[in-house]
Amino acid sequence: MMSLFSPLLFVSVLCMNSFSAVQGKKWKGEGTTQNLESIVIGRCYEYIRLVNPAVGEKNCSQIWEAFKNAFINKDPCNILPEDYELFINLTFHTIPPNKSLFWENNQLLVTSLAARGRRYMSVGDTLFGFLADFLIWCGQADSPGLDYESCPTMAECENNAVDSFWRIASVTYAKHSSGVVQVLLNGSAEGGAYPQPGFFADYEIPNFQKDKISQVVIWVVDDIEGPDRDSCGTNSVKTLETRLKTLGFDVTCTDNYKSVMFLLCLDYPDHSKCAFASSAPAAQRGPISSDRGGSWNKLMFVSFAGFLFRFALVY
Amino acid sequence: MPLQQGSARARQRTVLLVGIAVLLAALVLAVVLASLLTHGRHEVSPQMLKWKDRGTTKNLQEVIVGRCYNYITAQHPELGDKDCLKIWESLKDAFIYKNPCNITPEDYQPLMELASHPIPCNKSLFWSKTNDLVHRYTKSNQNFLTLEDTLLGYMADRVSWCGDPSAPGINYESCPKRNECESNPGSVFWKMASKMFAEAACGVVQVMLNGSVEAGAFRSSSIFGSIEIFNLDPDKVTEVHIWLMQNIGGPQSESCSGQSIQRLINILEERNFKIICEDNYRPVQLLQCVHNPDHTDCRLCTNSSAIP
Repeated sequence: MMSLFSPLLFVSVLCMNSFSAVQGKKWKGEGTTQNLESIVIGRCYEYIRLVNPAVGEKNCSQIWEAFKNAFINKDPCNILPEDYELFINLTFHTIPPNKSLFWENNQLLVTSLAARGRRYMSVGDTLFGFLADFLIWCGQADSPGLDYESCPTMAECENNAVDSFWRIASVTYAKHSSGVVQVLLNGSAEGGAYPQPGFFADYEIPNFQKDKISQVVIWVVDDIEGPDRDSCGTNSVKTLETRLKTLGFDVTCTDNYKSVMFLLCLDYPDHSKCAFASSAPAAQRGPISSDRGGSWNKLMFVSFAGFLFRFALVY
Repeated sequence: MPLQQGSARARQRTVLLVGIAVLLAALVLAVVLASLLTHGRHEVSPQMLKWKDRGTTKNLQEVIVGRCYNYITAQHPELGDKDCLKIWESLKDAFIYKNPCNITPEDYQPLMELASHPIPCNKSLFWSKTNDLVHRYTKSNQNFLTLEDTLLGYMADRVSWCGDPSAPGINYESCPKRNECESNPGSVFWKMASKMFAEAACGVVQVMLNGSVEAGAFRSSSIFGSIEIFNLDPDKVTEVHIWLMQNIGGPQSESCSGQSIQRLINILEERNFKIICEDNYRPVQLLQCVHNPDHTDCRLCTNSSAIP
């Protein structure tokens, strides 16, 4: 009896291990965002009532249904951009000319720069992009439910629900961009400021409309403390400029565009790259403190030292 | 006798005709009156009160619930135990079917309790007359939180709501302005939420004021000046840092040495807070320069050729 028991036990433990591996997460990526439906519908009304009422009345329940039907009850590795066509049709609105802002490797910067569509309208500031930004979703074959446990990554399968969505969103966004279009690239990114493959290279540029776009403005900005890997006229940016010119577009390129530099400086206000040239009036504006517990003297010393340091930097 | 019978019948006929005519006239009058009355009210729900400010935001429920889930799920998963539907119900119950001039803090008590959450020390950022700039700053720099970056403020920012005693209980057409009545749903909400936000602050607190407004950077009539500074807890809050921001290109109406700032400093000192005031706090000024990059106040040293 005992001699049979141990191998049985051993085999059953092995089976349990492999069983739990199967019971564990199906995919390597994070699962569907919780409360996805409420978030998407809420964002839809938020957009049409508050963010951009100019787009007019939209049926947000219908939009949610179209979004959901693109990927539920299907193999999560077989979702195609075309599956979202109805969703795109329902959420489509014109993009104001001269406001398009394309980007690679600097999403948070773009969000700050675009100022919720008031300065620029990035894809995340359009209705179709706004609904899905920063969310994750996927379904499963033979079940109408969303998979909250895990979702496939790009590495596991290209035709996953999220990546296919952004493909058609990018195509649509590029097709309807007009006037002067801007593209913000990261000059410190590994693999180059203009990544290939990439959304901009593969889905956006090929859909630029020659008769609608008057100029492409490229901004290449390095991280404040990052290396200067790419800049205008070099490496991947040169490739980009050549490609656009060959396609017949009027192209300009600027390194370290000032507006974006200021945004980067927010995290490094005392960095030398972020020092203001106009120091004379600034010196008068040293901190004023109330006289409490002897900190006044310390503060006077600190601000005087700071003034001297800034003075030394300028000269 | 045949003549008498003939005249009686004629009289009967006349009476009948007159009766019908009167009935018809009454019917016509009734129809005319009805159409006049309904025409006057067809744009507004019957008997709803009329006010001067914009009405309740359409689809308020979807917006509030969506924002609640968005805040928790996407940004603050540590608040995962909050029930967004319950939170919406408690907001709705605070004002639905009530006269919008009779709202009290007690109406909002359940909502405040459900939606409040702790604020980390040294992160509270108050503001007055710097709405746009302060929120651009907190979006770019997660180190500070304004009231509108807490769950309560995030849900309520830029939306409006008010009720009415008649069905459906919510007034989408108009809501009272402050000068029509003080105890309106919006004002009571923000006063209460501001009070709680101040009470929850600890450590070093910051306030961004506007040094380019004519009426003065610090005003006693503002929510900051009338509620927030008086609800900071001296046992929890150690210092108040004032960031006095002037518009790029001015006007430079007030600086840290200005009168209203001195008044603010006096009030705070009396409550035993240490105060530091800084003109044009650098990180925020950098943000101002994003959209004024070529202004002389925004010249960076790296642009000058003198710098190695």
